[in-house]
Amino acid sequence: MLEIDTVTKRFGQVVVADALSLTVRPGDAVGVVGPNGAGKTSLFGMISGDLSPDAGEIRFAGLTVTRLDAAARCRLGVGRTYQVPRPFADLTVFENVLVAAQQGAGERGRAARATAADALARTGLSDLSDRLAGRLGLLQRKRLELARALATRPSLLLLDEVAGGLTDPEVAELVEIVRAARGDGLAVIWIEHVVRALTATVERLICLAGGRMIGDGPPAEVLASRAVQEVFLGVTP
Amino acid sequence: MNALIHGVLLGGEYALIACGLSLAFGVMRLVNIAHGDLAVCGAYLVVFLGLPVAYALPLVLPIAFGIGWLLNITLFERALKAGDLAPVLVTFGLSVVIQNLLTEGATANPRTLDGGAISLAEVGGVSVLRIIAFAVAVSVLGGLQLGLSYTGFGRRVRATADDVDTARLVGIRVRPLFAAVAGIAVATAALAGVFLGLLGTVDPYTGGLTLIFAFEAVVIGGLGSLWGTLAGGIVIGLTQQLAGLWSVKFAVLAVHLVFLAVLTFRPRGLFA
Repeated sequence: MLEIDTVTKRFGQVVVADALSLTVRPGDAVGVVGPNGAGKTSLFGMISGDLSPDAGEIRFAGLTVTRLDAAARCRLGVGRTYQVPRPFADLTVFENVLVAAQQGAGERGRAARATAADALARTGLSDLSDRLAGRLGLLQRKRLELARALATRPSLLLLDEVAGGLTDPEVAELVEIVRAARGDGLAVIWIEHVVRALTATVERLICLAGGRMIGDGPPAEVLASRAVQEVFLGVTP
Repeated sequence: MNALIHGVLLGGEYALIACGLSLAFGVMRLVNIAHGDLAVCGAYLVVFLGLPVAYALPLVLPIAFGIGWLLNITLFERALKAGDLAPVLVTFGLSVVIQNLLTEGATANPRTLDGGAISLAEVGGVSVLRIIAFAVAVSVLGGLQLGLSYTGFGRRVRATADDVDTARLVGIRVRPLFAAVAGIAVATAALAGVFLGLLGTVDPYTGGLTLIFAFEAVVIGGLGSLWGTLAGGIVIGLTQQLAGLWSVKFAVLAVHLVFLAVLTFRPRGLFA
């Protein structure tokens, strides 16, 4: 469903993607780890349409989407959460999710409201639906970020450090929400520093460093590989 | 008492001019220096059409909306991508172009629009036309505010005003949305311009002073709030009328002093 074909992106002298290639199939759950500056969030930016690659091609759902903007990619089925939640602060929680259902999923009237209500129920936010999003706490904002992405009815969900800054029980709650969403055949790419949250959910882990992929496979194998331990965990031979 | 009534009514007029400015800035972060000139264009459109105001208005408003849409896709959106200063410079240039085109096409002579018999009608010493202008201003500002609060389009506008990148991320097509907002802003400006022509005179250079009052109404009311813009307009109208009781020459200066005081002590506006 997603094919990233030798994509390169530079910011001045800094290379955030160096001829990077990645294929994700429907229903896959792929974890992404790597040190700061490895190019993880830039990779998400290029998949979601926030960033344009300097070279290479991105295909999604059978279409070349390299030059499509974020709105068009969302409508095709790419959902994304931000590392630091960015709710529409002056809209209520329900409105945040409703606008995603109407615009991202292209639903109207009752169908859009039902999708919005379902996304809030799945993320445990139903009781807060009338609250202004700007007044939510961190965990609630992270849930709303997830609910809003789910309301666009994505076939590929990009999760950017949803567990960061949360306590263990809070992380466990979010992992459960993501697992439940995967039951619908949703493919997930998940960037996370909290590795245990990842290994509990994904079957495949990739490790990035300097815009290159230095590990790709089952999480245990990737984390145990020498290249990953050297770069990511700072272990020297 | 009479000054209070006139001040409030005048404030509605200022608020009607200012609401498009407030909307364009609140949603698109566009500081439109040509807003006053676009308002004046509304009055001149009625002159060029050669129709009575009541018949011309249904044509002027969609034309103005179309002009706003076109200006956005040809000028504003490019300027907005080019940094903070570019929209100010581009719309300043647009202002100069409009003033020169109007002078070329209609001379620099002041014009007034003929409102027919209603122009002379009064209720309790207050011009009926001014009351109508105030009612239209409140209806337009109220309608826009309600539309923003309770419609799907309004939700999209508010979401985009809040965070344009995230708006794109949930599938909102920002380009046509901005074009529609620019269209509404210019249409309300043109409507305000028609009332300027009905209640007084306009010439190709009226837009500059109009813009200053509109800016002051927006800032006094608080950026991004349409009810605040209405309140800001009324503060200006009241200040002008009440200061005018003491000295006509002092009236406009008093408005600017109130504006400066608000900027100094409540820079986010009185009603934000």
